[in-house]
Amino acid sequence: MGNEVRTVFSKICEFVLTALLVSFFTFAAFSIIPGDTARVMLGPDASEAQVQQLRTELGLDRPLAERYGTWLRDAFRGDLGNSLSFGTPVSELISSRLAVTLGMSFIALIIVILVSFPMAAFCSRNPGNITDKTLSTAGHILFAIPPFALSMMLILIFSKVFHIFTAGRYTAPGDNFGAYVVSLLLPSLCIALPKIAMTFKFLRASMIEYSHSDFVRTAKSHGLTDLRIMLRHIIPNSAVSSITVISLVLSDILGGSLIVEQVFNLPGLGRLLLAAISRRDFPLLSGIVLYLAIITVILYFLADIFAAVIDPRIRDRRAA
Amino acid sequence: MRYKGNILEVNDLCLSLSNADGAPVKILNNLKFNVRSGEILGLIGDSGSGKTMTALAVSGLLSDFAHVDSGEIIFEGEDLVKKTPKERRLLLGEKIGVIFQDPSSALDPLQTVESNLSEIISIRDGDKSKGHERILNMLKTVGFDDPKQIAKRYPHRLSGGQRQRVLIAGAALMNPSLLIADEPTSSLDTVTSMSIMQLLHEMCQEMGISILFISHNLNTVRNFCDRVMVMKEGTIIDADTSWDIMGQPKSAFTAELLMKSKLDPHALGITRGEARENAASVLTAKSICAGYKYAGFTNDKMNHVVNNVDFDILEGECVGLIGSSGCGKTTLVKSILGLIKPSSGIIEMNGRIAAVFQDPVSSLNPAHTVRWHLAEALRASGRKMTREEQKPYFLKILEDVGLEGKHLNRFPHQMSGGQRQKAAIAMCLVQEPAVIIADEPFSALDASSQASVIKLLSDINANRGTTMLIVSHNLLVIKAMCSKVLVMDKGRIVESGNTDEVLENPKAEATHALLKAGKYAV
Repeated sequence: MGNEVRTVFSKICEFVLTALLVSFFTFAAFSIIPGDTARVMLGPDASEAQVQQLRTELGLDRPLAERYGTWLRDAFRGDLGNSLSFGTPVSELISSRLAVTLGMSFIALIIVILVSFPMAAFCSRNPGNITDKTLSTAGHILFAIPPFALSMMLILIFSKVFHIFTAGRYTAPGDNFGAYVVSLLLPSLCIALPKIAMTFKFLRASMIEYSHSDFVRTAKSHGLTDLRIMLRHIIPNSAVSSITVISLVLSDILGGSLIVEQVFNLPGLGRLLLAAISRRDFPLLSGIVLYLAIITVILYFLADIFAAVIDPRIRDRRAA
Repeated sequence: MRYKGNILEVNDLCLSLSNADGAPVKILNNLKFNVRSGEILGLIGDSGSGKTMTALAVSGLLSDFAHVDSGEIIFEGEDLVKKTPKERRLLLGEKIGVIFQDPSSALDPLQTVESNLSEIISIRDGDKSKGHERILNMLKTVGFDDPKQIAKRYPHRLSGGQRQRVLIAGAALMNPSLLIADEPTSSLDTVTSMSIMQLLHEMCQEMGISILFISHNLNTVRNFCDRVMVMKEGTIIDADTSWDIMGQPKSAFTAELLMKSKLDPHALGITRGEARENAASVLTAKSICAGYKYAGFTNDKMNHVVNNVDFDILEGECVGLIGSSGCGKTTLVKSILGLIKPSSGIIEMNGRIAAVFQDPVSSLNPAHTVRWHLAEALRASGRKMTREEQKPYFLKILEDVGLEGKHLNRFPHQMSGGQRQKAAIAMCLVQEPAVIIADEPFSALDASSQASVIKLLSDINANRGTTMLIVSHNLLVIKAMCSKVLVMDKGRIVESGNTDEVLENPKAEATHALLKAGKYAV
C-alpha cells in the first residue's frame, strides 16, 4: 500500500515540475518573440502614449520574473486570468473547447487500438504472405501522408463524392451526444490513420517475436489452439511492450487534433491556441499550454498504471 | 491404462531443414529407434547431431523450415507423420508432454503459476474448482513445500529450478503417456539438476510415464536411464542398456564421448595450474561487499549479494570458484571486473584482467566478424598495430585457440558454440592479460566442446603462465583444472584451500551439498 501512495506522490511531484517548466518557457518565449501585445490590441493607428498606457495597465512593463510570479500565484488559486482578446476568463474559454479536442483524441485512440491490434494479430500469423505485404504497404503509405492532406482527401471523398458527411458542422455534446460523436468521426479518422500505421507496424513485429517465444512453445506443448495462444499469451504480452509506443501515439494524437481542427473548422483548443498566438494573448496562451501539459502528464500516468496492472514485473520493480 | 509394448517407434525417419538459400540440409538420416512403455530412454549426442530435431519431430513442434522427407513415427500404433497439424496439436495436450532446456522464459511472464498451469486443465475439462485442487497437489508432487504460495507467484519470482519444476508439473498434469525431456537440466546448477532428474525418475516409476530423455552428457544420464542411445549426424550409432554402454562402449565415438563427459584429466592431457615458486599475488580482494541498488523514494535500498569476501590469487595459479546458483559468484566476478561498483572493500590487481562469459552467443556482437572483435580487444588494451601487422598476429592467436584462419572473417552466427567460445578466449589473449576470469565458460556447451575449451584454457595457463579464475558449478571441471578452490555460499566464501583437501574433506555444508549432487549429475 505504501508503495502505491509513494508512486502517486512522486507522479504528482513530477507533474508539478513539468507544469512549472512548461509555463515558464511559454512565458519566456512570449517575451522573446517579436510583436507587442498592447500594439496588437490597439491597432496601428494608436499613439505611442496610448500603447504605453495599456502596457502599464496590463503590467507588461514589469520584469518577466515578476509577471511570471504573479501569474503563477493566481494559477495556484485556480485563476488563469482574463483573455485579453476575448475579455472572458481563460478557464471558461478553454473548458468550452475541451470537448472537441479531447473527444476527437479519444475517438482516434479507440480507432487506433481497434484496428491495429486485430490487423497486427492477423498479419503476424503468416508474415510475408500476400495479405501481410498488402497491409504493410498500405500502412507505409498512410504513415507518409501528413494529417492535413489526409483530412482534405477524406473531406473530398466523404462530403463531395458520397455526401455522407458535412465538414464544419459541429454539435456540442450537451445538445445531442450522438450527433456530437458523428460530427467528430471523420476528423478522428484523419488523426488515427497515420497512427494506425505506426502502431500496427510495431505490434506486428512484437507479435511475430512473441509467437517464437519459449512460453508460446510451452503453450503449444500444452495442446492449446493457435487462437487461444494468440488471445491468452501473444496479445497481452505485445500490449505491454506496446504501451510506450501507444503513449507516444497519444501525445501525437493530441498534437494532430490541433491541426485537423483547422481543416474541419471545429471549435477546439487548436484554433483557440492559434488565435492566442496571433493576437499575442499571453494569459490565454499560458492557460492552454498549461492545460495541454496537464492532459499529457495525466495520459502518461494512466499508461504507467495500465502497464503495472497487466505486468507483474513492473509492479515488483516499483516495490523493490 | 497405459499402452503396452513400444509406445513410440521411429522407423527410417529422414528430415531436412531448408537453410537461408532454401536448399535442404539433411538433419536426420534413416533414424530408427523405439521407446518401450514405462522406460526412460536416454538420447545422447553433441550439439548439431539432431537430438532436438528428433524431439520436435516426435512432438510435432517443428518449425516451418523443417520437413519430414520419409519414414514413420508410430505413437501408440498410429503413424503421426500422416496426421494433420491440428490432430497433432490435440495429441500434444493429451498424450505427449514436452519440457525444454531453458526454463527462464518458458512461462508466460504476465500470468501466475496457477494461471499458466490452469490452461492445461481448462482445455480438457472445464471444471475449474477441481482444477485448483489438482494444480496444488501436482505442485506438491513436484517438490514444492508451500504449493499455495507458489501458485500465486509470477514466473519472474521463481528461480530457474523452480520454473523447471512448474513446467514438469504442467507436463505431469496432462498425464501423458510419453514425456520428451530435451536437456531439461543443462541450464541448471548441479544440485538443482540432480533433484529434477530424481523427480523425472519418480514420475516414470509412479505414474508409468515413458520418458525420452535428451542430453549431451553421457555421464549425466547413466544413473537415470534404462537404455541409452548415442546419436551422431542424424543416426543412432550405438544403443544399449545404460550399464553396458558405460562399461563397454561399442563404438569409438561413444568411448570418446564418455571420456569427454567424465572429464578425465589424464585422457584429456591437462594438468592443474599451480602457482610458481615465490609467486607474487596478481589479484587480491579484501572484504568486498557488493550488491544491487533499488531506487526508493527517500533512500536507495541495497540488496547485498556479496558479503565480506577475501581472497588472494598468486601468479600462474588456476583457482576455482564454486557454489550453487544464486550464491553471488557472478556478482563477485562483476565487481572484480569493475562492471559493478562494490559498496566497500579493496581489489588489488597486478596486470590486465580479461573475461570469458557463459553465453558465447550473446557475448559477441552479431553484426561483426571475429577480426573486428579481435581488433576491438586490441584497441581496448591500448596497443597500436597497423592493419598489416594485425593480420599475422590475429592468425597466430586463432591458431593458439584452435581455430583456423578462415574463421577470421566469420560472423558469430556462422560458428558453433564451442568455436564462438574459443573466439571469445582469443579476444582475451589479444589483450595479453595477467589474469583470465572465466564465468561458467563451459555450461552452455555440449560435452565435446566443453572438453576442448577446458583443454584450451588449461593449455593457456600452462604455456603462457596466465593466471585463471574459473567460476563453475561443475566439480569435475574444477577438479581437473584448479589447484585451489573457493567455495561460496550466500554471498560469503565458506571454505577455501587446496582442491583435493577441500573436496575430499569438506567442512562447510555447502561443499557437502555440491559434492553429493556432483556424484549423480554433472
